[in-house]
Amino acid sequence: MSSEIKDQYQEILQTLFHLLERFPAKDIELNEQTNLVADMGLDSINVMELLQEIEDRFDVIVPLNVMADVSTVQDLATQVKRLVEENS
Amino acid sequence: MSISKRFAELAHIRDALGAAHADPSRVVMEELLSATEAMIAGKRTILAGTNNYLGLTFEKGILDAACDALHEQGSGTTGSRMANGSFSSHVALEQEFADFYDVPAAMIFSTGYQANLGLLMGLVRSGDKVILDAHSHASIYDGCRISGADFFTFRHNDAEDLRKRLRRLGADAEGALVITEGLYSMLGDIAPLAELCAVAKEFGAYFMVDEAHSLGVYGEHGRGVTEAAGILDQVDFITGTFSKSLGSLGGYCVSRHEELNLLRYGSRPYIFTASSSPANIAAAHWALKAIRNRPELKEKLWANVERLYSGLEGLGCKLASPPSPVVAVRVESHDEAARIWNELLASGVYVNLVVPPASPDGASLLRCSMSAGHSFEQIDAIVAAFAEANASAAFVAARCGGQD
Repeated sequence: MSSEIKDQYQEILQTLFHLLERFPAKDIELNEQTNLVADMGLDSINVMELLQEIEDRFDVIVPLNVMADVSTVQDLATQVKRLVEENS
Repeated sequence: MSISKRFAELAHIRDALGAAHADPSRVVMEELLSATEAMIAGKRTILAGTNNYLGLTFEKGILDAACDALHEQGSGTTGSRMANGSFSSHVALEQEFADFYDVPAAMIFSTGYQANLGLLMGLVRSGDKVILDAHSHASIYDGCRISGADFFTFRHNDAEDLRKRLRRLGADAEGALVITEGLYSMLGDIAPLAELCAVAKEFGAYFMVDEAHSLGVYGEHGRGVTEAAGILDQVDFITGTFSKSLGSLGGYCVSRHEELNLLRYGSRPYIFTASSSPANIAAAHWALKAIRNRPELKEKLWANVERLYSGLEGLGCKLASPPSPVVAVRVESHDEAARIWNELLASGVYVNLVVPPASPDGASLLRCSMSAGHSFEQIDAIVAAFAEANASAAFVAARCGGQD
């Protein structure tokens, strides 16, 4: 992974951590492997809100069907990175 | 995931509803007394949560039409139209829908759920883009999911948000499908269809409206919120159901594009299921004619809406939207909603208990649906039952939560 691509991924990841902070999580430390539903306890309404914030922040549009493959923060960051690249 | 684990999850949901005394599946209508009354747990109960908007289900005309069809055409069609052929009654009902909307194409489906599934699975595929209102019905989400298309939501009833999302789609916005509903069934709010349609057209997108809860209820001729918004000639696809204002069972789709008929060759929910029974078709056909010929039904419904709405407002209830045939009372907590729901039932009033995740915005609701079949006395009894529950201090605290 080139440093530029790695930087972009890290930037997305840090933004996601920031966005996720405001959701009611159990007492856990957020990391890349945190599971959005099992660890954080996000419900479907939380996920919709999160997606809309991600869309506004990165100026992308996230298909709900890709969310079927997203479990962890890392999965989400990877999908957002792909969408940002597709858009640029 | 194993099946046993799935059973355990579902049992957990059932047990949680049972513990909160909020399991709607325990409500059994032992005897139907009219379109608006039933015996529940041995008690004469007013039905204010059955979406029977025009109250036609016990009218002599609809019963005669269904009985005649039953005797003339039998109890069932025993197969799909593509395999077994159509009955002339199916074709005639499709023609009636096309005439009613003044469009070249109409298709009927075996349920309203299947109408949305059938349209979406027939229309869009992998690589296509669909943008739907976040509050859309499960049948729309399921249709999108199964179709394989990329699907996105826009903020509920927000035309500017739709514009933003279409813009982000870039070149893919042209030819995308935008989906909204006319009247939303849980909060009872209507969509700003003219604005949403204008945005869709600006980007060259198709526009679809689900009028399940608004057929026969909105518009000069009862053609729904689309008609009331003055955009019938611009909407590409309208879906709906027979199981609400039409008092039957089935679904439909109409389109200004004659090509809708091509879906008969490629929509699996249309092809691979038995067609509606003759009695259901005859009842729906009779009711559709009633919408066309008896505008007084709609007028009675709206007079009833006004009476219930002002009655509940007078109690200080927090109502989820402006007056519509769906009058939803917001309650602050899940437990309080369940308590009131049980009190209403004990007083002989049945409404819908709607709690997260079924409610669209995390609200707990006591949802009433009005009917042209309700008498003013029944509506006054519904309001009185709410007032009785109101007498409890906890309820007062709950309803005042957003008002002070």
